[in-house]
Amino acid sequence: MGLVATEKLAEGLVLASDVLDRSGRMLLASGVELTTRHIRMLMAWGIAEADIAGVDVPQQQPVASSKVDDALLQPMEEELKLIFSNVDLEHPAMAELFRLCLLRKVSGETRQAQP
Amino acid sequence: MRRAKPNLEHIVNNATTVYSLPLIHDRLTQAINNPKASFADITTIISEDQGLSFRILKLANSPMFGYHKNIDTITKAATIIGTQQLRDLSLAISVMGVFKGIPEELINMTSFWQHSITCGIVARILATCRREANVERFFVSGVLHDIGQLVLCTAIPEELAELIMQCRDSGQPQYQAQHAAWGFDHSNVSGEMLSKWKIPLIIAEPVANHHSPSKAVTYPAEAAILHLSDLITHALQAGCSGETHVPPLDEQAWDLLDIPANMLGTILKQTDAQLDETMAILFDKGHQ
Repeated sequence: MGLVATEKLAEGLVLASDVLDRSGRMLLASGVELTTRHIRMLMAWGIAEADIAGVDVPQQQPVASSKVDDALLQPMEEELKLIFSNVDLEHPAMAELFRLCLLRKVSGETRQAQP
Repeated sequence: MRRAKPNLEHIVNNATTVYSLPLIHDRLTQAINNPKASFADITTIISEDQGLSFRILKLANSPMFGYHKNIDTITKAATIIGTQQLRDLSLAISVMGVFKGIPEELINMTSFWQHSITCGIVARILATCRREANVERFFVSGVLHDIGQLVLCTAIPEELAELIMQCRDSGQPQYQAQHAAWGFDHSNVSGEMLSKWKIPLIIAEPVANHHSPSKAVTYPAEAAILHLSDLITHALQAGCSGETHVPPLDEQAWDLLDIPANMLGTILKQTDAQLDETMAILFDKGHQ
């Protein structure tokens, strides 16, 4: 089992546990095979993530897409790590925040590069 | 020459004689708490202050509320957003006016308010995610959370400058350095200022504990939201209040909020959508 962000869900994945809304009401039961309609419904309900069977590690999408080369990414990552030096990056929330901030830095930079 | 150790009570007492909330805030609070006051009494008080009404209407029509630019009178705003909520918004606007004209050698004001407003927006979005009632109080606590820094800027500029420099180099969180040197930090100053101004505890307690959310016994969830918002705002590097590094996370506060980590992406996206316009409305040339 592993948590996967709703936007990364795909048809055919199987839920490893029940999906509940904030008040604990069940939206989808464990064992359901997801369809496109299910995923759309989860988005409409504002569900951020679902527990998917067969996914081991929490899905961390690499920041670098094919468009960004390492030479650009690395100094940014170093710079950001400096600002995050008081933060425990092992914590899942902080790891995600770091990833998002790096992503913003990279996309901001490439946006500036191509006017 | 050896300087005397800064004293929290002394600093706050001095500051409250210099900085006072505009009369309109007291009048609004009295009217809202008075069961005999009518809805019209409350909207009249706001309407009498043209600058304030103008900003409230602009805010009400901004992406923060998403009412598609249909709110054209204070009465309409009070009906849709609520009178207490308007009072909270007017508090945020008033306090920004109170601190104008602070010397900018230490902290740039545009940058300071950008940090504060971003924090307010993030707090409001986090509160919305948690289905909290009356989210405007989260916005105002975000806008006010670092006013202690401004007070310190004028009260003990040399001491503050020293610590800002020191932390910039060492990477030590500012509030920890302040605590080590003086026995209190800017969050205590912010909190004391708010209680002197008789701002309700539901706003003052989270502000006073935004670096120590576990110490907020009455409003732990509010303090946890503000703590996380401050951290996210630092991570986004949106503006600056004198602190150059992201403060450490209080894991207890994170667990208390029960927000999935995957939600952070959505929260940042929503923040982006509201930030520029809110900043333009609350902080413009006319406010300087």
